[in-house]
Amino acid sequence: MIWTSWRLQRLQLLTLLGMLVVGAAAIVLLRSNMVDTITSTGLAQCVTQDVKDCTASEAMTDFRAAWSNLFYLGQAAILGLPALVGVFIGAPLFARELEQGTHVLAFTQSVSRTRWMVSKLVVALVPAVIVLAVLQYLVWWWLSSAGALGPLNNGPYNAINFSIAHASPVGYALFAFALGTFLGVVSRRTLVAMTAGLAAFIAMRFALSAVVDRFAPTQRMETTGDKSLGVETDGSLVLGRGWLDAAGLPVPEDRARTLIQACKAPTGAKPSQEEFLACLPRSGLAKRYAYYIPESQAWQVHLVDLAVFGVLAGLLLVGTAWALRRQS
Amino acid sequence: MNTRRQPDQALPVVTSAVGKKYRRGWALRETTLVIPRNRVVALVGPNGAGKSTLMGLITGLLRPTTGGITVFGDHPTGKGLHPAVSYLAQQKPLYQHFTVTETLTFGARTNPTWDQGYAEHLVAQAGVPMGAKVGTLSGGQRTRVSLALALGKRPKLLLLDEPLAELDPLARETVLRALITEARDQHITVVLSSHVLAELEGVCDHLVLLHNGRILLAGDVRDLSASGVPLGQLALDRMRAAAQEEAA
Repeated sequence: MIWTSWRLQRLQLLTLLGMLVVGAAAIVLLRSNMVDTITSTGLAQCVTQDVKDCTASEAMTDFRAAWSNLFYLGQAAILGLPALVGVFIGAPLFARELEQGTHVLAFTQSVSRTRWMVSKLVVALVPAVIVLAVLQYLVWWWLSSAGALGPLNNGPYNAINFSIAHASPVGYALFAFALGTFLGVVSRRTLVAMTAGLAAFIAMRFALSAVVDRFAPTQRMETTGDKSLGVETDGSLVLGRGWLDAAGLPVPEDRARTLIQACKAPTGAKPSQEEFLACLPRSGLAKRYAYYIPESQAWQVHLVDLAVFGVLAGLLLVGTAWALRRQS
Repeated sequence: MNTRRQPDQALPVVTSAVGKKYRRGWALRETTLVIPRNRVVALVGPNGAGKSTLMGLITGLLRPTTGGITVFGDHPTGKGLHPAVSYLAQQKPLYQHFTVTETLTFGARTNPTWDQGYAEHLVAQAGVPMGAKVGTLSGGQRTRVSLALALGKRPKLLLLDEPLAELDPLARETVLRALITEARDQHITVVLSSHVLAELEGVCDHLVLLHNGRILLAGDVRDLSASGVPLGQLALDRMRAAAQEEAA
C-alpha cells in the first residue's frame, strides 16, 4: 500500500523535493551574500546592537533598501507553504480518487479502508511537513544573521514573525492539510476542495489569531501611575492594561479616560507634568496594571498555537475518516 | 483471518431477505438468493433493477438495510474485499496515469493471494503492451487489464458489473471468450450483469432476473429452459407480467 500511495503522490513528492533543493540553495546563497555585504559595509556591530545605537546609518539605509524585499520573500514563502500544502496535497488526496472512481478500485482489493487511508495520509503529509520544517529553519537562520537589520527586529509577536517561527507553521500546515482532505472527501470535487479549502484556511487563520493569545499563560504587573509599565517597549505582547483605584480594583476604561482628561485640563490652564502626575492618584487612579507575555515566553504561545490548530486538524481528520467509511 | 472459513466449504453467495434502501427509495427489496459454485451467472434486468446494488452488497461496498448476506460464509464488512472475491465496477476504474506494469504491481501490493505470472500471462494474451499508460489504451484493452487485475488475485468468485458495456461487438466477443475460458479452467464462479440478456444467453448457465428490486426468475438455465420456451422469451414474459402487476 505504501508503494501505491507513493506512486500516486509521485508528482507532489518530486515537486516538494525540488522546492527543498532550490529553496535551500537559494537561501544559503542569499545568506552568504548578505553576510559578505554586512562585513564589507561595516554593519557588523549593528546586527546585534539596538538599531538606535547603530552609527553607520547611511549604510544601514542602503542595506535595508537592498534586502528588505528579499526578506519579505523569504517570510512569504514560509507563510504561504502551509496553504500550498493544503491546496495541492491535502485537497486532491481523496477528492481526485472519488472524482475518478478509483477509490472503488482501492476498496475492492484485500486492503482495509483504514489502512488505505492512513497510508495515503502519511505518505502525503510527512514529507510535506519535513520540507516545511527544513525551509523554515533555513529562513530563520538567514533572517537571524541579519539580526536587528532584518525583520526579526520587529520582535517575536509581530504578526509575520510569529507566523513563521517555532511550531506555528507546522500547526498551520497540519490544519490546512486536514481541511483540504476533509473538504475533498465531503465535496468529492478536487477543484471545490482546493478553492474552498484555501478560503476557509485563510479565514480561520485570521479568526484564530486573536483566540490563541487568550489561551497562552500571561503575567501581570503593576506600577504606580508616574512610572512607565515598560512592557510596551521591551517586545512583550500586551493583552490588557488599565488603571486601578486605591483599593486595587480596576477602574472602568471610560471613567479612567474622563479622570485623566480632567487632570490634564483642571481649570483651563495646562498643568505641568508634575501637577498632572500628582493629580492622578488624587482622582482615584492609583496604579497602572498590564497583562502581558514577555518576549522570552514566545515559545509558550507557539505551543498553544500548535495545540489549537493541531486539535482542529485532528478533528478534521476524524471527520475525513468517518466520511470515507460511509463512502460506498 | 482465522475467523474466515475456507472458500470451498461455503457457497459463493447466500442472501436472506437482503434489502437496500436509498434516500430515493428501495433499490433492492428482501431478496433471497443463492449463487451456486462453478457457474457463469447472468444477472439481468433493466436499468435501475438493482443489479449494481446487489453487487455492491456482495462486495461490502454497500451495507444492507435489511436482511443478511454471506459470501463464502463471511459477512462482507467493507474492510477490504474477501480474498476469494474480485469485483470489476461498471466504470472499470484504473489509475489512468499508471502503466500496465504499475497497475499489476498495484494488484500485487494490495492482494496477498496475487499471482503475478498469471496476471502477466493474461495481459500478454490480450496483446496489451506492458509499458503503455492505462489512459492511452482502448476500451477493450482497458477491460482486459481490469480483468487481469481482477483474476490476478486468484478469486473463486468474480463479479463483473456491465463488463461489456461501451465495447464494440468484436471486443465484446473476445473479452467474453477470454473470460469464460478462464472461468471454466480455474473453476471460478462468475457473475456478469447486463441489461441485455441476449449477449449473455450463449455463455451463462445460471440466470438471475431482476426487475424493480425484485427477483423474477432465478435458476440454472438447464432447468429454466426445460419447458421448451426460449430463455429470452421466458424473461420477457416474466417482466411483462411484473409490469402489468405494478400497473394494476
